[in-house]
Amino acid sequence: MKRNRTMMITFLTPALFSFGLVFIYPILRTLAMSFFYVRTVTDGWGKWEFVALANYQKLFASSMFIQSLKNILNIWLWGGLVVFAVALIFSILLTSGFKGKSFYRAAIYLPNVVSAVAMATMWIQYAFNSKYGLFHTLFSFLGMERLASFQWTSPDNQFLAMTLAYCFGMVGYYVLIFMAGIEKIPVDYYEAATLEGANLLKKFIHITLPLLRGVLRSSVVMWSVTSIGFFIWSMMFSPLDPDVGTITPMVYMYNLVFGRNLTPTDPQLLNAGAGAAVGVLLTGLTVIIFAMVNLLIRDRKLQY
Amino acid sequence: MLLALCFLFPVLPLWAGGAQEAEDAVNLVYWSMWNETEPQAMVLKSAIRDFEKLNPGVKVAIQWNGREIRKTLQPALDAGTVIDIWDEDLERIVKTWQSYAIGLDEYYGQSYPTTGGKAFGDTTMGSLQSLLRSFSTDGKIYAVPYQPMVLVAFYNKDHFAKAGIAKAPVTWDEFLSVCAKLKAAGYIPMTIDDAYMELPLGMHLNRVFGNYEAVEALAKDKTGRLWDDPRVLRTARDFETLARNGYLSPQVESNKWPAGQQEVATDQVSMYMLNGTWLPNEVKGTTGPDFPWGQFAYPVVDPAIGASAGTYGSQGFQISKKCANPDVAFALLAHLTTGKWDQEMAANTLGAPMDTGMDWPEVISDCKAVFGSLESWIPWSGGLAADTDAFPVIKAEYTRLLAGKVTAEQFVANIKAGL
Repeated sequence: MKRNRTMMITFLTPALFSFGLVFIYPILRTLAMSFFYVRTVTDGWGKWEFVALANYQKLFASSMFIQSLKNILNIWLWGGLVVFAVALIFSILLTSGFKGKSFYRAAIYLPNVVSAVAMATMWIQYAFNSKYGLFHTLFSFLGMERLASFQWTSPDNQFLAMTLAYCFGMVGYYVLIFMAGIEKIPVDYYEAATLEGANLLKKFIHITLPLLRGVLRSSVVMWSVTSIGFFIWSMMFSPLDPDVGTITPMVYMYNLVFGRNLTPTDPQLLNAGAGAAVGVLLTGLTVIIFAMVNLLIRDRKLQY
Repeated sequence: MLLALCFLFPVLPLWAGGAQEAEDAVNLVYWSMWNETEPQAMVLKSAIRDFEKLNPGVKVAIQWNGREIRKTLQPALDAGTVIDIWDEDLERIVKTWQSYAIGLDEYYGQSYPTTGGKAFGDTTMGSLQSLLRSFSTDGKIYAVPYQPMVLVAFYNKDHFAKAGIAKAPVTWDEFLSVCAKLKAAGYIPMTIDDAYMELPLGMHLNRVFGNYEAVEALAKDKTGRLWDDPRVLRTARDFETLARNGYLSPQVESNKWPAGQQEVATDQVSMYMLNGTWLPNEVKGTTGPDFPWGQFAYPVVDPAIGASAGTYGSQGFQISKKCANPDVAFALLAHLTTGKWDQEMAANTLGAPMDTGMDWPEVISDCKAVFGSLESWIPWSGGLAADTDAFPVIKAEYTRLLAGKVTAEQFVANIKAGL
C-alpha cells in the first residue's frame, strides 16, 4: 500500500496532541512539582517554592510512608502468591474437562463484577464482624471457639483481613486470564503426555507452566501495577484516618494532597509537592518491577 | 446618592422579607456538604425555597456535593467556577478557605427578619463566635455557624436506673463506680468504634495536662522523651484498669464503625465513649424515637484542672469573595440559621439549634448543659492528630490497651518505639 504522509500526519496529529495533553503534560508537571513545596494541587506556578529533594527526604524520613511501602510489598508478595496459586489451580481444574465449566468460571469471576466498595463493606460488616459475622458464625457452628473469637479487624489482624478480602476478589480475574492461556495450548501435547503416562502434576510442570510463561509474565506485571496503586480497599478499611495496618502509598499521597477526612488537617501539613513525589516514586517502582519481570521471565517466543 | 439608592433598592426587600418583586434577578450558587437525601439537605432545600418565595427576585442554585466538597471546592474556586456560598466543618472552612471568603463582622451587627429585632451576632452562640475568631488568622469572623456539636459520652438511662445509678458521673472515680455498678447489674459498661477510638485518650490527656498544646507536643515528639511524663503512664493505667476490670465490649478492638454504635443502639452496651451530638440521629433507625439517651461530659481526672474544656464546633457557611451579592447571600444565611429554619433543622436532624434560647431535642437535652459549661476548646482527638505519622501508631497501641492486649507500661514503650 502506498504511504501517504499527509494523511498520516492529518490523522495522527489530533491523537498525538491529545495524548500529549492528557498524559505527557501531567507527567512532566508532576515530576516538576515533586521538587517544589506546593500547598494545594491547584496552586499556580507563582506559588511554588523550590525545595530540591526535600520532599523525597521527608517521605523517606516518614515512618508511615515506609510502613505504607511495607504494606504494598506484603500485599504484592503474599497476596500475589496466594492469588496466583489459587487461580492456577482453578484454571487447571476447569480446563481439564470439568463439568459445568462455564458456570464455575462465571461464579469465580463474579466478585469482579461487584464494586470494590460494596465488596469491602460486605467483608467488613458481614464477614469479619466478631459478633455476627460469617466467620464467627461458621467457626462457632463447627465448635472452633478460638477461631470464632478471632478479631479480624483489630489493629493486629487488619492487614490480614484486608489482604484476604482483596485476594478473594482478584482470583476470578486471573482465573480467566490463565484459562484463556491454557486453552491456547494444543490438546495434542497433553494427549501425548497422557499416553506416555504423565500425571496431572507432571503435565502442569512440563507443559502448562512453560507454555504459560508469556501469560504469567503479563499477569505479574498487572498484579504489580494494581498492588502499587492499592487504594480503595485501604480507604474502605480505614475511611477516616489511615491505620498502620492498612496504609498504602496512594492513601498516604491522598492525605498529603487533600488532608484527612474526619480530623481537619492543619493546612500547613498539606503538601501537594510531596504528594507528587509519592507519585514519581510509585511510577519509578512500576518501571523497575516491569524491567525486573522482563529480565527474570524471558519470553522465549515459542510457537505452537 | 440617587444612584446608590437605585442599587440598594432591589436588595432592601430581601432584608425586609417582603414579597415585593425585585427589579433584577439575583442568582446565587450554593455548594453543599450534604447529599440531597440527607435530613439536613431536605431542611436546607425547604428553607432556601422559602427564602426564594419571600424574595421573588432571588434564585439559588444548589449543588449537593456530599463530603467530597472537601476535595472539590478549592480546585473549583481556583478554576473560576462561580460559587457564592459553601459549607463544611467550621474549623476546616476557616482554616482552609479563609482567603476565599469575605469577613462577616459587619453583617453580624445587623438585624434580619428572623432575628427578632436583635443583631445577628446576638442570636449566635458566643462560644462559636470566639471559636471562629480563634480559627482565623486576623481574629475576624469568616463563617456563619449552624448545627452546633459537642463531644460527649452517651449512655442508656434505663441501664443506669436498673443498675441503681442515680446520676451521671462527674469525676473519674465516679465513672469507675458507674462501670462497676453496670457490670454488676449484668450490662457491658462501654464501647466505641474505630472511627472515634482515640477520643477518650485525647480527652483524658487533656484532663491531666490541662491544655491541648501539651498533647500536641506529645504527638509531635520524635524523641519519645515527653512520653516519660508520669501523667502519660497514669492515663494509660486508668485505661488499663477499664480493660482489666472487663468494662469494655469484648469486640472493642475490632469494632468497625458503626458496629460499636449499634451495640449501644441495640441495648447490648450501656455507654458510648465518646461521640458527637449527631449520634442519636445516626442510629435512630435502630433505636426508634424513644430511646432513653443521656449524655455527660468527659469526667474530671484532676480536680485542679476540672472539665471546663471540651471539643465542640459546628458546621458553617462561607460567602465567596467573588460573590456579586454578598448582602443577599448573608440574608439567606441568616434565614437558614435563625428562627423557624433553625428550629426545623434541630428537630429534623435531632441536632442542636443555634438559638441559645431554644430547648434542645429530648434525645440530646443533656448536651445543652455540657455545651454551656465549656470555657475552652479542645481540637478533635485532643491534639493527638497533630502529627500524621504518630497518630496511627498511638491509635493502634491505644486500641490494644483497651483490648487488654498490652499493659500501660507496654503501651508507653511501644509508642516510644513507633514514633
